[in-house]
Amino acid sequence: MTASQQDATPLLEMIGVGKDYRGVSALRDINFDLRRGEVHAIVGENGAGKSTLVKILAGAVTPSRGEIRIAGQRVLIAGPAGARRHGIAMVYQETSLVPTMTVAQNLYLGDEKFFNRLRGTYIDAQQFLQSLNFPVEPTATVASLGTAKRQMVEIARAVRLEAKIIIFDEPTATLTPEEKHHLFALIDRLRKAGVTIVFISHALEEALEISERITILRDGAHVITDEAGAFSRETVIRHMVGRSLTDELYGRAAEARKSRPAGEKVLSVQNLSMQNVVRNTSFSIFAGQVTGVFGLVGSGRTETARIIAGVAKRDFFHGGDIRFENRSLRYRTPREAVGEGVVYVTEDRKGDGYFETMSVAENIYIGRISARDSRGLTASLAQARGLAGFWTKKLNIRTLSTDSRVVELSGGNQQKVVIAKALVQRPRLIIFDEPTRGVDVGAIAEIHHLISALADEGLAVMVISSYLPEILNLSDRILVARQGRIVEELSPGEATSESVMFAAVY
Amino acid sequence: MTPLRGALDRWLGRGKASITTPPLDGAFRPNDLLDAAPVVLETPAPDSLAATALGLIVSSRNSLLRVDKPTPAPLASFDAEISALVGLPDGGAVVGLADGRLLFLGGRRDGTTIAADRRIGCITALAPAADGALLLANGSADQPPADWKRDLMLKNVSGSVWRLDPESGARTQLAGALAYPNGLLEERDTILVSESWRAALTRISLGGRSAPALEDLPAYPGRLSRGASGAIWLALFAPRSQLVEFVLSEDGYRRRMIETIDPEFWVAPCLRSSRSPFEPTQQGGVKQLGVLKPWSPSRSYGLVARLDAALRPVVSFHSRANGRRHGLTSCLMCDGRLYFAAKGDGVVAAHAYEEPTP
Repeated sequence: MTASQQDATPLLEMIGVGKDYRGVSALRDINFDLRRGEVHAIVGENGAGKSTLVKILAGAVTPSRGEIRIAGQRVLIAGPAGARRHGIAMVYQETSLVPTMTVAQNLYLGDEKFFNRLRGTYIDAQQFLQSLNFPVEPTATVASLGTAKRQMVEIARAVRLEAKIIIFDEPTATLTPEEKHHLFALIDRLRKAGVTIVFISHALEEALEISERITILRDGAHVITDEAGAFSRETVIRHMVGRSLTDELYGRAAEARKSRPAGEKVLSVQNLSMQNVVRNTSFSIFAGQVTGVFGLVGSGRTETARIIAGVAKRDFFHGGDIRFENRSLRYRTPREAVGEGVVYVTEDRKGDGYFETMSVAENIYIGRISARDSRGLTASLAQARGLAGFWTKKLNIRTLSTDSRVVELSGGNQQKVVIAKALVQRPRLIIFDEPTRGVDVGAIAEIHHLISALADEGLAVMVISSYLPEILNLSDRILVARQGRIVEELSPGEATSESVMFAAVY
Repeated sequence: MTPLRGALDRWLGRGKASITTPPLDGAFRPNDLLDAAPVVLETPAPDSLAATALGLIVSSRNSLLRVDKPTPAPLASFDAEISALVGLPDGGAVVGLADGRLLFLGGRRDGTTIAADRRIGCITALAPAADGALLLANGSADQPPADWKRDLMLKNVSGSVWRLDPESGARTQLAGALAYPNGLLEERDTILVSESWRAALTRISLGGRSAPALEDLPAYPGRLSRGASGAIWLALFAPRSQLVEFVLSEDGYRRRMIETIDPEFWVAPCLRSSRSPFEPTQQGGVKQLGVLKPWSPSRSYGLVARLDAALRPVVSFHSRANGRRHGLTSCLMCDGRLYFAAKGDGVVAAHAYEEPTP
């Protein structure tokens, strides 16, 4: 093969690749190729087959049919080690690091020398992390790192392997805008060095911004692959869901919005403090409104919400005051908060949101029996199924049966189960923390409708989100958090991406 | 609450003993609207506004002045400082003097004087009742109106609300043990009272029962008035701050401060701060290049709020730390303008405001 022929040949080709699980087709005869040194975005709703496709590439899943060619040669990718031999590395959405080891040890895991000099490893790791602009301490244990920094270590490990193809599965979901900027600069550097990047993201703006080509999947089938310039956000969404959702997702942000008037002051947080994370923060939440809270990672938004809901504890001495419906409260456990009508929908749905081995019905029923008006001495399976039937219909949870395990559902439907679990507790104040993280656009629109409907019903709704379009679209008031406190309040009329981001950073 | 729990809370700074202040957000979101309002009258210590047949008038020390048509000479002068003023439905006005006397001006009872009562020595607000009687707020049982700061620092709860029959001069106490009642408004069969030191509005029934109507205000409420649309306007004369709340929780410190320091320099709210370099700590006032930052904590502030029928604040007008309309003791809607008396800065100003129809 001549050099010119080599350039014209795609680096990787998938021809007619499919994957069946117990007779159900998760991926149907996909034809897909990657060019040398390109950034290729794969987008699609949850359940569209993106993860299956990239897991086949990464050797985590064996295809049921079809063939894979690398540089024109047919190959069999046998397991992750085989993928690595072929120069394919994957950065998973859920990190695969060893929490008890240090950052440096994780970076060099599986690549240790016979005699290791720990100091040398740390120095190497430090230099390597600095070259990537990742502010991570190599001597820190992974368990002590936040989600964003763990993601950075994961990315750094893939880059260190000098892979020819690096697959990023939702790399930006937990990163701050500044960290995203660094990541995109790094991707650009890798691309220039000839590395091919496969990029999976639910944030369409990112896909449109950094990728050269975009492949859209729907229901396990390939819909279209084209140059990124040929797409707009509208056309991407239309291809993804088969209908236009642009107005539903971003309609309110685009026009001058009329915000809902404030009702009674339901929650007054006064001078709340928790170590260095929440610093003397004060704000109010009103009934009948959606109060959006925007902030970068580390701005203390989640911690504040967790203190309100009794999940975390404020400072023992002079930790401030939380007044719910004019009563000063201090919850020792989330159950007490739920009993009072304060419900928190976690950002970490997998860790804290549901019991993954339990069914949809059982998960929703668990929410019910911890509610304030539940007698909860006995459990009734019939009641659980009845309740689950009602909520799966109301929230349009797509599941084969209410007895299906939650872990079998797509991200969007899992999130709806978590929301149903919260709503059965009949809250007066509901706090959504990153309600649409890792959720596909179709489900995002449904969750947004649901949140708006809750405010219309008179509930006090607080939405914490790092996704600016979501905050701008949903909120009747926008609070901006920075360094552990609320620093700005904006009305929807005043709020723009720039003004909110400016308040969050400066 | 058990005494043990109370002691524990005080030690840990929790519950009722937590030293916190409500945020200025929602309807109380800061703006500069008071500073943007044009000045109508400059006079020392303008205090109380009233709409009468004579026009819109304001009390200033011991004089009454026209606001809508300012004249060089005062409309009336008295031998004692005016501590309260209200317009009556017949077009007249009642003036409450610092020594406890009440004087009628204009209207049916023009020239009538009602002698002081030793039980009522701190008239802070007046309001006409629907049956022709007069409602009086007696801020403190033992401090004169000018010593309001001392009353706060002594943590007095000795205020009362009275009903006065103008014919006979008979006074009936409607409610007592109030934390400096400083504004009054009759509302149907009840009386709405602003209790400054509780930072709250309290509703008092004719039977004397009191119930909270609006609590946890971010500043000390002053006088109340009603706009043409029926909405209630509330002037808040000084901001609450964590430092003052802390001093209020430190009895020994406060006692020594009262005994040894000039009241002007107490760690206490005031109608105008930042005028003396001897002021205590300036409360961490943030200055950059000599410019006072608007968000810096200040002992004085300018704030007016409009309340809806359910007594929820819906709109507010502010003069922030760097503003020049501090210490608002009174406000009144008149002819599509919101007039306010900034006692701390010695101005009466008016902001054009169209009240939404109910």
